Amino acid sequence: MRNKLLCTLLLLSVACSFLTAQSPTDALMMPQHQICILGQYASSTWDEYWEGTNKRSNSNLGTFNAASTMLMANYGITDRLNVMAGLPYVRTKSDSYLQGQRGLQDLSVWLKYRPLAIAAGPGEVRGFVTGGVSTPVSRYVNDLLPLSIGLRCPTASLRAVLNYTFYSGLYATAQAGHTWRGRTNIDRDSYLYNYQLYYTDEVPVPNVFDASARIGFIKERFQTEFWVERNACVSGDDIRYNDGPFPTNKMEATVAGWFGKVFVTRQWALHASVSKVFAGRNAGQATTWAAGTTYFFTVGE
Amino acid sequence: MKKLHFSYLALLCVTAVVVFARCSKTVDDPVYEPYPETSLDQNAGTWKTYVITSGSQFSLPAPGAPTSAAYLAEVEDLKQMAAALTDEQKEAAQFWGSNGVLRWHEIAREFTAQYNVPPNYNADGTYPWPDPANPTVYPRFPFCNPPYASRAFALLSVAQYDALVAAWNLKFQHNRKSPAHYDNSIAQLIPANDLPSWPSEDAVVAAASREILKFLFPGEKELIEGKAAEHKNSRLWAGANVQSDLDAGDSLGRKVAERIIAYAKSDRMGQANNQAGYPALKDDAVARGFTDLWVSQDIPARPPMLPYFGNVKPWNFSDSVKVAIRPAVPPKSGSPEFNTALEELRDMVKNRTAEQWRIASYWADGVGSYTPPGHWNRTACELIYEKTFNEIRSARALALMSTAVQDAGIVCWDTKYYYLLPRPTQVDRSISTSTGIPNFPAYTSGHSTFSAAAAEVLSYLFPDHAAEMNELAKEASNSRIYGCIHYRFDCEVGLESGKKVGSYAVERGKNDGAE
Repeated sequence: MRNKLLCTLLLLSVACSFLTAQSPTDALMMPQHQICILGQYASSTWDEYWEGTNKRSNSNLGTFNAASTMLMANYGITDRLNVMAGLPYVRTKSDSYLQGQRGLQDLSVWLKYRPLAIAAGPGEVRGFVTGGVSTPVSRYVNDLLPLSIGLRCPTASLRAVLNYTFYSGLYATAQAGHTWRGRTNIDRDSYLYNYQLYYTDEVPVPNVFDASARIGFIKERFQTEFWVERNACVSGDDIRYNDGPFPTNKMEATVAGWFGKVFVTRQWALHASVSKVFAGRNAGQATTWAAGTTYFFTVGE
Repeated sequence: MKKLHFSYLALLCVTAVVVFARCSKTVDDPVYEPYPETSLDQNAGTWKTYVITSGSQFSLPAPGAPTSAAYLAEVEDLKQMAAALTDEQKEAAQFWGSNGVLRWHEIAREFTAQYNVPPNYNADGTYPWPDPANPTVYPRFPFCNPPYASRAFALLSVAQYDALVAAWNLKFQHNRKSPAHYDNSIAQLIPANDLPSWPSEDAVVAAASREILKFLFPGEKELIEGKAAEHKNSRLWAGANVQSDLDAGDSLGRKVAERIIAYAKSDRMGQANNQAGYPALKDDAVARGFTDLWVSQDIPARPPMLPYFGNVKPWNFSDSVKVAIRPAVPPKSGSPEFNTALEELRDMVKNRTAEQWRIASYWADGVGSYTPPGHWNRTACELIYEKTFNEIRSARALALMSTAVQDAGIVCWDTKYYYLLPRPTQVDRSISTSTGIPNFPAYTSGHSTFSAAAAEVLSYLFPDHAAEMNELAKEASNSRIYGCIHYRFDCEVGLESGKKVGSYAVERGKNDGAE
């Protein structure tokens, strides 16, 4: 009996670490010629996961942890167009005998455009469109889920964000996006997908739809926000009973969280967030916390 | 300013197009096409069989003459069928026409992968064990672990081979050719040949495979019967057989399969999971001076995998030969030789290269895969396709290799439970692995023994691939060191042992009448 350990993806928890500061999913923009550099550490832990839709624990895996350290930059090309890039370093571990993984994961680049900003009633309505691509930057192990640091496939995403901010600082944001994901190549040349045996090392990774809703309060010196988010693969198979997860799995998670940011000076802010997965499929029930810092400055004016 | 926006948006669009192209999900799964018969092997009816006494053990009522009214009516049915073929039927004709023997091994590999998942533990820390009488109730029967898989491929190959020898014997006795030989208005969809078509080799293979796979994977009865019916019908759709060719083949295949199943019921596999007998194995190992015994690394501790599989009846040699070729005593834990092997693994944990990861992963053949016997089964099938073997040579090659691979499993399991050597992770908890830890003792390595036996037989059958096969076996063996699942001596001794086991099958091949 291969004691191959059963479990699930950290993937979603890693994705969630992007949700802080100026991100592809929020309603913030950098003014023209301003740049911000963000550094963040996030830690995601779970000891229960959904095998298909059944929640379970696994004594052979014990507790799973993924930590990511991310560097991200956001530059205001104009007041209405920002470019962003991010690269996480991820480390995974569990209580099992399987060796935890570490490495640079995927480099992401986004363009964020604001086509809409109009005063309406006691506040302002703003709309954003974000397009992004990502590509793996190292040949990390992708066939050892959940310990793999990612799925090692190219992605492209498109999303829309709609925000209403009262002049008092209260705001609400709705966001929806679709991520197209390509193939990943594993080291084996056969695998089961939907109970069918494929004789190739090429593995199709399902696309993902995500949507989130946020309400918060933002002032010059601080921001606080509560959010719920839903990530769901639009296709894919379930983890077979007592088998391990695989990149073809239909992963889903509904996450709720809090985010807060304080400006220590005009140019330097600290932020923190916590979140928890409360429903899922082929995913770990992760609790994630993150803390980071952002530095703002102006270039080339 | 506006202009700038548009140029960035245009850039975004171009990038998106490029990325979407990279986001293609099409995967490159191989396609096998029909090929013409390369030899008739007129004497194959006299080749040495495994379980049935000889190719002439079974007779069938003689077929009707090609001039008989019954035969002509069958040909007429064929023509009517040909005029109304659907695209699916044409596809099936091509699919099964490539080589029915190999198609059934594909099915067996898929079942193996699907059923190769260890049962989960119960709330009280015990483990359920599959019940053959209730195959669809969790945990489904069988748990198709590597020993079970090795026997499954052997039984399937032997059934196909023995049935085809019996078919060849009858084919050349009666010499009734394919319908296109007697009626040139029949256009075969797959390459035609001069092989007598009664009894149909495809129906023989379909029936023998169907019966064996139903025995091995009873929960898949309906799917298996559907595949067998499609296989047989595909021959009508291809215009290659008439119904009476198929009926005779089915009858013959079924009869031979009955004998193979009777053999399988008495090969001592039924006692392989004798957990009550496990303490006796431990006592014996202690009596031999082995004190640090293997324990399960699963949490909760899982009963050892098939502790008496080493007692299953080998195909190519006697039980006494099995004892005679059992590998020698491994280094004792704490001895300098043992410590050197352990040290190599401690270094491996720290310095495992990307290439070593790749090899460990490529050969892992763990949970949810077709196991190492399935991996070599695939390799054999690919070589057979490359060399365009006819059905009977395909079945012979697979029987020679698969029986050797099962024998390798038997010798290896006998050795594992004779010495009960702990896994590296049991000796040093700081050793982490790149793949799951198998739930049975370390010495000797199953991968190494299976692989060397397979490579030995494939080198004999495909001499121009000999060097490559031996390299693959060596890589499979090394993969277990890279994964920190095995000590180097488990692997090296396993390779030697497997090679020796394989040589018995090669010897059989040299004397079975096919050379």
